[in-house]
Amino acid sequence: MHQLGSFDVQGFGGYDQVETTAIRTEGLTKRYGDVDALSDLSFEIPRGEVVGYLGPNGAGKTTTIRLLLGLIQPTAGRAEIFGLDCQHRSVDAHRRLAYVPGEANLWPSLTGAETLHLLGRVQGKVDEAYRQELVARFDLDPSKKVRAYSKGNRQKVVLIAALMTRSDLLVLDEPTNGLDPLMEQAFRRCIHEAKERGQTIFLSSHIMSEVEALCDQVGILRDGRLVEMGTLAEMRHLSALTVEATFDAAVPDLSRVPGVSSVQQDGRVVRMQVRGDVEPLLKVLAVSGVKGLLSREPSLEELFLAIYGADPSQTTPAP
Amino acid sequence: MNTDLALVGPARTGRSPGTVIAHLTARKAIRSGVLWGYIFGIVVASSALSYVSIYKTQAQRHRLDVAFGSNNATSALFGPAARLQTVAGFTVFKASMTLIILGAVWGLLTSTRLLRGEEDSGRWELLLAGQTTRRRATAQVIAGLAAGVGALWALTALITIVAGRSSKVHIAAGPAMFLALALVSSAVMFLAIGALTSQLGATRRQAAAYAATVLGVSYAVRMAADSGVGLHSLRWASPLGWVEELQPLTAPRPLALVPIIAFTIAVLIAAVHLAGARDLGASTVPDEVHDTPHLRLLSGPLGLAIRLIRSTVMGWGVAIAVSGLLLGLVAKAAGGTISGSSLKTVFTRLGAPGAGADAYLGVAFLMVAILVAFSAVGQVTAARAEESAGRLEHLVVRPFSRSSWFWGRLLVAVSVLVVSGVIAGLFTWLGTASEHAGVGFATTLSAGLNVVPPALCILGIGALVIGIWPRATSVATYGVLTWSLLVEIIGGIGALNHWVLDTSVFHHMAAAPAVSPNWGTDAIMVAVGAAGAVIGGYGLTRRDLQGE
Ligand SMILES: Nc1ncnc2c1ncn2[C@@H]1O[C@H](COP(=O)(O)OP(=O)(O)O)[C@@H](O)[C@H]1O
Ligand SMILES: [Mg+2]
Repeated sequence: MHQLGSFDVQGFGGYDQVETTAIRTEGLTKRYGDVDALSDLSFEIPRGEVVGYLGPNGAGKTTTIRLLLGLIQPTAGRAEIFGLDCQHRSVDAHRRLAYVPGEANLWPSLTGAETLHLLGRVQGKVDEAYRQELVARFDLDPSKKVRAYSKGNRQKVVLIAALMTRSDLLVLDEPTNGLDPLMEQAFRRCIHEAKERGQTIFLSSHIMSEVEALCDQVGILRDGRLVEMGTLAEMRHLSALTVEATFDAAVPDLSRVPGVSSVQQDGRVVRMQVRGDVEPLLKVLAVSGVKGLLSREPSLEELFLAIYGADPSQTTPAP
Repeated sequence: MNTDLALVGPARTGRSPGTVIAHLTARKAIRSGVLWGYIFGIVVASSALSYVSIYKTQAQRHRLDVAFGSNNATSALFGPAARLQTVAGFTVFKASMTLIILGAVWGLLTSTRLLRGEEDSGRWELLLAGQTTRRRATAQVIAGLAAGVGALWALTALITIVAGRSSKVHIAAGPAMFLALALVSSAVMFLAIGALTSQLGATRRQAAAYAATVLGVSYAVRMAADSGVGLHSLRWASPLGWVEELQPLTAPRPLALVPIIAFTIAVLIAAVHLAGARDLGASTVPDEVHDTPHLRLLSGPLGLAIRLIRSTVMGWGVAIAVSGLLLGLVAKAAGGTISGSSLKTVFTRLGAPGAGADAYLGVAFLMVAILVAFSAVGQVTAARAEESAGRLEHLVVRPFSRSSWFWGRLLVAVSVLVVSGVIAGLFTWLGTASEHAGVGFATTLSAGLNVVPPALCILGIGALVIGIWPRATSVATYGVLTWSLLVEIIGGIGALNHWVLDTSVFHHMAAAPAVSPNWGTDAIMVAVGAAGAVIGGYGLTRRDLQGE
């Protein structure tokens, strides 16, 4: 079982264990026909942690979250939230959590304000002052009807609806979907605040940098399997850059430079992945007549290919 | 995601991008056109066949002509009854107004669905990001819809021709095809109107509501023209009036096709033009996007359910009230023709023995029962849509259980249906009372309540399907209703054995007010519905939430 943080759960009695563990899954599995959407997932997340749940599209992040919320039934295994079974005691579990879906399908005929009012009433508790602050912070016009909102604006509504409850646990499924960069900043600020208040946050994402910016702990999901779980520092090998260098003269051999992998040459253009320190690469480039340099964050798919190879069942990192 | 999306890509269909939308629309429109063509054909054929089996002698046919031939009330409702002593005249009188209106409703629903509905669903964004312009896309949808109309016409004509070959009916192929053309022409005009209102409204629902308003006004105008008060020329001011002017089978006037065709073309040109002149997802008529919050109902999911179905339910309520009122108004005149005629035997066979207004209402209330059942199906599909569109999630991820949602929606639906029955009874009574038809309030009220159990039964079946096989909800509930309708229509001419008749929910409903309601059978129907709901409610808590 993957276990996070330094809590020694064994040392506590049953009741306290409930209080220290926010989410626990045991052999959680979901199969759709032939597709293993999620296989044998076991982990434990202590209270107060901010956990990133990272995986490329189709990895099983949404499936995990829908199982945690009791929206779908597991094929095998079980899950608990604050010690409450996700299937059989979902209503009690939901009292203590708030959820943000990646795609906000709201009632088109309600306005933003009406939607927030309704969702607050159904939740049963709302920090009214904080709600108003959030509306201002996310720059939402709540008098507009949902059908007139852009995708980003609808996403703001569900974000505010979740954050305004100040719930013990926030379950976020790719929550920045459709938000512009400015609003993404506002979102990050809210997550930092929630963390300071001691709220537990479970954030699914397929963007490495988002998880890096927000989370202390990371779980990595690939093809329905939890590949690794640990602190951000332990996941350093995952942080990488895709670099594209154009040379005006002979192209040097870059594959031996420390940290560089997946070197692909296309005429005078070389594309590669750089993990860890970029300094060794920069030193080599500086003396070899580089004309242009482009770098960007690799997609998780590219990254996983570089680290784990093409075979999804091979889950040990390549040397 | 949506399976239709996958089919859209030219690579998948192997068709040129220029015609993908037309093909896609045509497929859906033809499917629906075939279904309704089948129903149209059956209605026409059953009218003709029932006439020859009921009115065998010349004397009987003459009596029928005397009763309805110059009856202003029925003329206002169904159009004037010309040459009732012939099969052709009776068939037109019996079937045409109903089918003209059904065709118009089909037309406006189909075109707003395939134009505005597809656009609202976001599927167009993908298409338009590709190779085609908005105007071309709209023109393509219209071309696809034309294929659907073709299917509707072909099937109606075919079934009419087959029935017409019976030696007693004797309607030749040419007139049969012209009859089908007349029946389909209202569908054509309202397809066009739907295409235009799809450009005017901000949502599919709004577009359909605008088109339905045009239909309502058209009907009212021709009603005034046909009520024998010297306003006959008003017919030319109503699209439905033009259709009547075609006078198929009795005195065909192809010249009346001119305004129909001209109107359709003009409306379609306007629709295509407006399609290019607005933003995707936007409306031509200014949309009220800003609104002061109305929070009164929004304190919980139950209030939300009421708020969501409010406008639709009011629409059904008005339709039921108007139907009740009209039936009440004509009950005395229509009932008068039953007495002493062979109609009496027919009405007895339909479960409404006796004579007079009661007997007439006993048969006519089937129409009210159908309306109420339709509104039940509407509620079932609306509830399922909450789940399939992902909106239910927002409620059940909060401390609110699926069962609370399920039983809350059912409670609202049951209340709506019971109130519908009361409205039907009340307004029928208002109609009969103003004509001094001598039908008591308690009688019409219990007749109104009598139409509720079949609707509750269908509601329960719908709840069952939602719980155990959600993706089949729409097909199953509309299927039960359409099947029951067909059984009633065909059964009306006595062509079915009782095992088949028993499969119709309406067959178990007593023909109140001609006879008193059979509360025992009604209780069984409600119990069947309740059992379905209990199983469905259990199933819902045991399954995954499912999208489309
Ligand atoms: N309702 C469903 N039916 C069939 N397959 C599904 C369903 N939901 C998800 N899947 C499959 O399960 C896998 C995981 O999906 P998902 O959890 O949505 O991934 P993620 O959220 O990480 O992108 C995918 O292969 C997806 O196609
Ligand atoms: Mg997902």
